[in-house]
Amino acid sequence: MLQRGFHNANNVQAAALAQQQQGRVRVRVQNWTNASLQDLLNFLSRNARVAIQDAQVEGALAVGYVGSREQADALRKWNGVRFAGDNLKIEIVDTGSGNAGTSNTVQFLRSVLVRRYNSENRMLDLGGVVNDQEVAQSGMFSNVARQSKLLPALLKVASREAQFIVLSVNLADNNLRDTAQIADLWQVFPLLQNLCLANNSLSRFQLLSSWRNKFTNLKELLMVNNPLAKDPNYKSEMLMLFPKLVVLDNVIVRDETKLKSVYSFPAAKQPFFCESTDLTQLSTDFLSYFLNLWDNNREQLLGMYSPQSQFSVSVDTSIPPSTVDGADQNPSFGYYLPVSRNCTKVSTPKLLQERLSIGFEAIGAAFQSIPKTKHSLLESPTDYSMEVLAFPQVSGFTVTLHGEFQETDKPLADTINKQVNKKSYVGRNKKYGNNTTNKRLSKKSFDRTWVIIPVNNSMVIASDLLSIRAYVNPSWKPDVALPTGPQSLAQPPVQAGAAAATVPMPAAIPTVTQPIGAGPQQGATPIPGPPLGPAGVPQLAPTLQLPSDVQSKLNPVQLELLNKLHLETKLNAEYTYMLADQSGWDYQLASTTFQQSIPNLPQNAFVL
Amino acid sequence: MNQQGAITDTFVKKVFAHLDNTDVNKLGDFLSLFQSGSAKIILNSQPFGDPTQFLTLWQQQVVATQHTVQSVDFHLIPGSGMVVCNVTAKVRFDESGRDKAGVDATIRDANGSGATPRRGAGNHTPRTQWGPYFGISLQLVLNESIYRNSFQGCINAFNYSIVYKPSDTLMQV
Repeated sequence: MLQRGFHNANNVQAAALAQQQQGRVRVRVQNWTNASLQDLLNFLSRNARVAIQDAQVEGALAVGYVGSREQADALRKWNGVRFAGDNLKIEIVDTGSGNAGTSNTVQFLRSVLVRRYNSENRMLDLGGVVNDQEVAQSGMFSNVARQSKLLPALLKVASREAQFIVLSVNLADNNLRDTAQIADLWQVFPLLQNLCLANNSLSRFQLLSSWRNKFTNLKELLMVNNPLAKDPNYKSEMLMLFPKLVVLDNVIVRDETKLKSVYSFPAAKQPFFCESTDLTQLSTDFLSYFLNLWDNNREQLLGMYSPQSQFSVSVDTSIPPSTVDGADQNPSFGYYLPVSRNCTKVSTPKLLQERLSIGFEAIGAAFQSIPKTKHSLLESPTDYSMEVLAFPQVSGFTVTLHGEFQETDKPLADTINKQVNKKSYVGRNKKYGNNTTNKRLSKKSFDRTWVIIPVNNSMVIASDLLSIRAYVNPSWKPDVALPTGPQSLAQPPVQAGAAAATVPMPAAIPTVTQPIGAGPQQGATPIPGPPLGPAGVPQLAPTLQLPSDVQSKLNPVQLELLNKLHLETKLNAEYTYMLADQSGWDYQLASTTFQQSIPNLPQNAFVL
Repeated sequence: MNQQGAITDTFVKKVFAHLDNTDVNKLGDFLSLFQSGSAKIILNSQPFGDPTQFLTLWQQQVVATQHTVQSVDFHLIPGSGMVVCNVTAKVRFDESGRDKAGVDATIRDANGSGATPRRGAGNHTPRTQWGPYFGISLQLVLNESIYRNSFQGCINAFNYSIVYKPSDTLMQV
């Protein structure tokens, strides 16, 4: 939500309502219908000395609210009492922490957050929130025990509000003695860049130790007027806790340029590289043809192999760290291990020779010994990455494909072998083979390299090297969880250097977001998108008038995003930029944010 | 012939050892492995003009690394005198905040104190702090002369890709 004012009437009403309804308990009464509802209420009020508010008739039930848990308990003592010729049945529908009370608290906390969130500089100002007048008036956090729950509760509520993009948090003047109350801060605001904890009573470094290496984006920290800021080790401790801290208590403690260069890899993985344009078409054609048959009818592929062609599989059994998105922590390689030609694991020359298939006959047999698969190159091309290089020594080229496949069925050869070997291996199988867990079908990641020699109008595969590894989400896929800032979208330095050099390696394909595997129908035609101006800069809509100094700082991808947002939202240049920037240049997020903030946008935000 | 598997494996390990090396004086040795002038180098789908350019960038802009080979497979392509290798590995980066030369981004106080971590100061070599593992896929096109113990200029193509990345790293990749 963009800019909800302090004096918004809705907030005040909501707060008043929340205050009134805080702590109410819902109750239900049965067997009263021989009299009127009013009679029932009068009876209970007179005897139990409890008033049921907002009472309603729901069929045979009278449903209403009492002011507190204590009142509800008092009322329940009258369960079974004789009234109008029947025994009343009184039930408490929800407990003290029930829905009505909770949701009202949440609503109230949310109103506090909205009031204290500044969308323009993406700052959540919780400074002195424990002494906040409105909070005090609400009475929800009146005593000391409850007060300590205010900050955790606020953080909890904030964590569910996706539209708060918080880069700065002010927690000054909150009487904090330790960080337990705000320990989750790094999880709630993973992008946090600026944090102010000034004027609190933090005294020991141990308090902060749970934050070690957690705020990986934190650039600025303000801790003045805390006892620990006077410690001689204060600066070095803070530098160790926050690896990317640049400014501590208004003093520059790290060189930001140097910091960036130390913590960034100079080249981000791009999904596509092709050494020359004519190979683009050839390689995409080859891939869609090959993978289709690989999934559906491997036999038919054998025509592409010659008597000298080679094929082998190698298995990388390493388990990726659990912090890799989607990583399979329990991969099963049972079908591949018997054929794996991994030279780091298999050292006997004889075995290595046996596991190398030469000629289409041996290759055909090897194809049948590994599970049936389904690749989704056409459906989700972003799951794949490809590099194509010329291979002049064979007048051909190499294609390397990184990606994933789903195992759909056990190998063809598996069933044949089992029948043949059934008798002789019965004893052994009991012990080692027939193990269903190591032959479980699952998703796998792979890297596969083909050496391809074009001959006349067809292609011969000279070499086919397949490596299989545990499934992971690939590194080249755009990060969905954390929107990437403009920084990481900037062209890596490699580009400039490579382009400047005069070498036989023309970067034929723009490495930005070229999808691969567009299929033979589309071949290597670029994705349909906004028309590109000279030098690959997208043409902007005439109504999107960006100041030239702003425009010059943006890369083509960002300009394209702005253009798309502008055309879609009809926001003017300034607001389009704000929207894009606040959403971390993430289109999905920008779109959602826009939908949510339409009611709060001024008329002049739009192009007239 | 018989030892080709072992030799290929050793050679790949040698390449990774060169990548992990932080000593500037050893760069020349690494450079001599690349075919001078025409070796193709691709890093994360981005091409490099020549090996010197790549090695300079690797030395200056990449912190200390530690590679572990996970799988190596290779084919000799008949008639070409070339070997194609398909390699997977994992790599972790030094996340201590220091570059290969041991220089960090910290701005020292006037008196030189306060900024240095409590230990590791002085003349001691600062300890590396290895981050979590990344996944690597590497394709090499090598001259088969490596089986005759001749490594000069044997790397014809070097295609290095990061295929997976951990979310808890400090590195921006």
